[in-house]
Amino acid sequence: MTIRRLLARVLAVARKRAHDHELENEIAAHLEMAERDARESGMTAGEARRAARQRFGGIEQMKEEHRDRRGVAWLENLARDFLHGLNLLLRDPGYTAMVTGVLALGIGANVAMFSLVDALLLKPLPFADPDRIVRIWESPRPGATNSSSTLDFLDWKRMSQSLEAIAAESPVSVALTGTGDPVRLTGKAVTADYFRIFPAAAAIGRTFAPGEDEPGAAPVVVLSHSTWRTHFDSDPGILNRKAMLDGEPYRIAGVTPVDFAGGDEVQFWKPLIFTAGMRTRDFHWLSVHGRIRKGATLVEAQEELRAIHASLQSLSPAWKRDWKIVMEPLEQVLVGDGQRRSMLVSFGAVVLVLLIACANVANLVLAKGAARRNEIAIRMALGASAGRLIAQSLAESLGLVLLGGLAGLSTGWVVIRAAVPYLPASMGYQSAPAFDGRVFAFAAAVALGVSVLIGMLPFLQTLFAKSGRTGALSGKQGLGVRGASGANLGVRRAIVITEVALSLMLISGALLLFRTLFNLEGLETGIRIENVVTASIDLPPQSYPAPARAAAFYESLMERVRAIPDVEAAGLSTFLPLRWIGNGEGLLAPGLASAINVRFKRVDPGYFSTMGIPLRGGRGFTDRDHAAAPGVVVINDALAAHLGEAAGWTNVLGQSARLTTPRYTDRKGDLREVEIVGVIRSERTAGPGRPDPLVVYVPLAQAPSPGVELLVRARPGAATVLPAVRAALRQVDPLLPLGKTMTMEEVRDTNLSGVRRPAWLIGVFAGVAALLASVGLFGVLSQVVFLRRREIGIRMALGARPRQVVSGVLRSAMAMVAYGLGLGLAGAAALSSVMKNLIFGVSALDPAGLAAACGAMAFIGLAAGSLPALRAARVDPVTTLREE
Amino acid sequence: MDIPYGTLDLLILKSLETMGRLNGYALARRIEQVAGESVQLSQGAVYPALIRLQQEGWIRAELGVSETNRQVKFYSLTAAGRKQLRIEVANWEKGAALVARFLQGSAR
Repeated sequence: MTIRRLLARVLAVARKRAHDHELENEIAAHLEMAERDARESGMTAGEARRAARQRFGGIEQMKEEHRDRRGVAWLENLARDFLHGLNLLLRDPGYTAMVTGVLALGIGANVAMFSLVDALLLKPLPFADPDRIVRIWESPRPGATNSSSTLDFLDWKRMSQSLEAIAAESPVSVALTGTGDPVRLTGKAVTADYFRIFPAAAAIGRTFAPGEDEPGAAPVVVLSHSTWRTHFDSDPGILNRKAMLDGEPYRIAGVTPVDFAGGDEVQFWKPLIFTAGMRTRDFHWLSVHGRIRKGATLVEAQEELRAIHASLQSLSPAWKRDWKIVMEPLEQVLVGDGQRRSMLVSFGAVVLVLLIACANVANLVLAKGAARRNEIAIRMALGASAGRLIAQSLAESLGLVLLGGLAGLSTGWVVIRAAVPYLPASMGYQSAPAFDGRVFAFAAAVALGVSVLIGMLPFLQTLFAKSGRTGALSGKQGLGVRGASGANLGVRRAIVITEVALSLMLISGALLLFRTLFNLEGLETGIRIENVVTASIDLPPQSYPAPARAAAFYESLMERVRAIPDVEAAGLSTFLPLRWIGNGEGLLAPGLASAINVRFKRVDPGYFSTMGIPLRGGRGFTDRDHAAAPGVVVINDALAAHLGEAAGWTNVLGQSARLTTPRYTDRKGDLREVEIVGVIRSERTAGPGRPDPLVVYVPLAQAPSPGVELLVRARPGAATVLPAVRAALRQVDPLLPLGKTMTMEEVRDTNLSGVRRPAWLIGVFAGVAALLASVGLFGVLSQVVFLRRREIGIRMALGARPRQVVSGVLRSAMAMVAYGLGLGLAGAAALSSVMKNLIFGVSALDPAGLAAACGAMAFIGLAAGSLPALRAARVDPVTTLREE
Repeated sequence: MDIPYGTLDLLILKSLETMGRLNGYALARRIEQVAGESVQLSQGAVYPALIRLQQEGWIRAELGVSETNRQVKFYSLTAAGRKQLRIEVANWEKGAALVARFLQGSAR
């Protein structure tokens, strides 16, 4: 068939009525002319009419053939069945509303979840050829990754052939002045190749040119689109202005496009210029990204870099000779395994919800289908093909699913809109969850699948029902109903059992995650976090060129902060508590075979007491540990234990060691003699299950840092102390803005969000699932009672007591629940290996949780069964017996 | 005999080529006349064939007035239809020649 004809036939379906009318007219005209000719040849009127009809042939057959020839029969049928289905839906608005609601929940949850998963896991990174972008780390031991040193980075840059671009970056924070109040901007110092790896077509101006990262180059800056908008009023003439960063004028090279990835958190980029002091191999501070040359593979690039690293190993300090180099695709780095797993578990949960929703809808459709079984049976008896009946059933359910799909899309949209502000920015989205063509396609696919699933049911039920044809055709309505209590109810029971099983799996999974959450909240963080706010402070090197200036600044700031009436305690630290501690340093001690790599944290004397970190031995820092005093350190008990083992010390207190200590501004370290004066209990720096890192604490006064975190504990019940802290800062340095502020609860929560997210999501889904399961249970039990009303009537007429009737109905309900629970327990056991990685402090087959989940489902079953049971007991025997 | 399967299209196209515009009745009569007494045609059979040819774009239908003063469709060949007719005639002659040769060969 030519395409033209196909098109014409499809169009003909739409014009069916007009075509039929035309044909009627043609036939009439034809017969008229034939009659006239016949009469002219001498026949009587009656003879002529008969002759004309006879010559014409079978009119109805011809019409049928005409219709078949011109149109597409199945399309016509589909359209008719679809309209018929819509008509049925309109006639029963209660049923329609119920099904639409259930589908809206199921499809909506899936659509919302899909758009999250899509944004997080499926969509490629929004850069050209994202699969060629890699992250490069130094690695002290297998599985651990470390930042890179300047000289190592420069070696890779110089020698690598398989990378077409390689760039280093380091976070920077500056005070922007001259645009109103001073504000703190966080950004990145990047080498000039950065924008070759992450290409950005500048919205205004340009990005960096080669050579702008050379020493002596004029200071330039690239602004993010949002910085340009917020702090420069979207000035189109921005290129003619200068930005005052830390009191120094920067020429503005350009503005990134509005959708440049990562633009939200990075407010500006400036060239990273390596000063002589930064060119070392023992200070690790650079994040390095590369772009693999076209034609080279990841493996080739990895091998080449490994070879480069091996050839230069002799230049490395002795303590990092056995370090390796690691190159990973960026995508893998952005979305960690844990996150991937938690997203997939959440997605699995919504799929369960969808299945339960389908089961419920199937139940409703079956209840409805019971009424139509006679129609189906008659049509089969009259010779309708199975295919035709399935097609009809599908077309009818299509209307239902279209409604449900639309409702689901709207629900999903609302959910996403509501949820997006609460999604942590740290989730590493490649792009914001959006409602785009991919989500629509997904919704359509889900709706179609659901439609097939529930559309097949009434037909299958009739096809396989033993009493199907004969029962329906025997003509007695009563027989039909009684027949329905066989196969029909069997299917519906199976559905309810499945529903109970799926709900149990969801509820027990949710309970596990909630218990994990609970365990984590109650987890000994090792610190007091109540009423503590944190704020970052960065001293611009121009105004604070020497460490002594910084030390003086910290001293006078803390004096003022501690004087604020509502402040109970205050401290300073170079890293937030509960957060990863950067900067590995080497620690050498007598008795140690080689230097050990330790985390290095500078704190002031108030830090330990502010955070309530208990001393295990020795002392903390005091004001007497100033720059001129002998070097002292406090270590955590993880390091104490390690030293005890490695160096054979029985008591670490009073031992002396040598420690590489970073200088104030440049990136060189000095080896300094220090005495271990105290041991504190290890602070948590990561989620549960990770070993505590080895940490050395150094007095801030003995190793000042230009950037610190201020920690302020307010008195219980006090209003926020931040305004007073800001005022104190202004008194010390009016040009210095306060950086990012957070409460310690927020700090903790961002660390735990990996668990919290699926816990809440799955909890909500479990609630929805339990609701759907109870609705389904209730529906089936009501139906059972309705179908058994005759039997119950007879029993009661024969003397059965209402209580016996009630217990009978309840028993059948609980039997279904029990089967469902058994299946659900098996399912939960099957899923335990998936859950194992997401939970903490609770077994994947937690008996208490499973018992609680079973109890909840049993209660729901009991509740759903009671109402129909009581109704059964109220059945008046006379009425039901008279019904037939 | 009945009209051989698949030849009705050819007969219709050829009739329209010869006669120009025809309505359904006149077309059926024309085929009957040319065929003489040799074929039995249910006149109604032309209508399903006509709609098919029309959908293929080989003939076009215009409304006209019949001898009985009624609005009916008049059919005529399109350019594509003329081309199709040539193809079908060629096919038919080829097929007929093949069958003829075959029959002669078997008769020998």
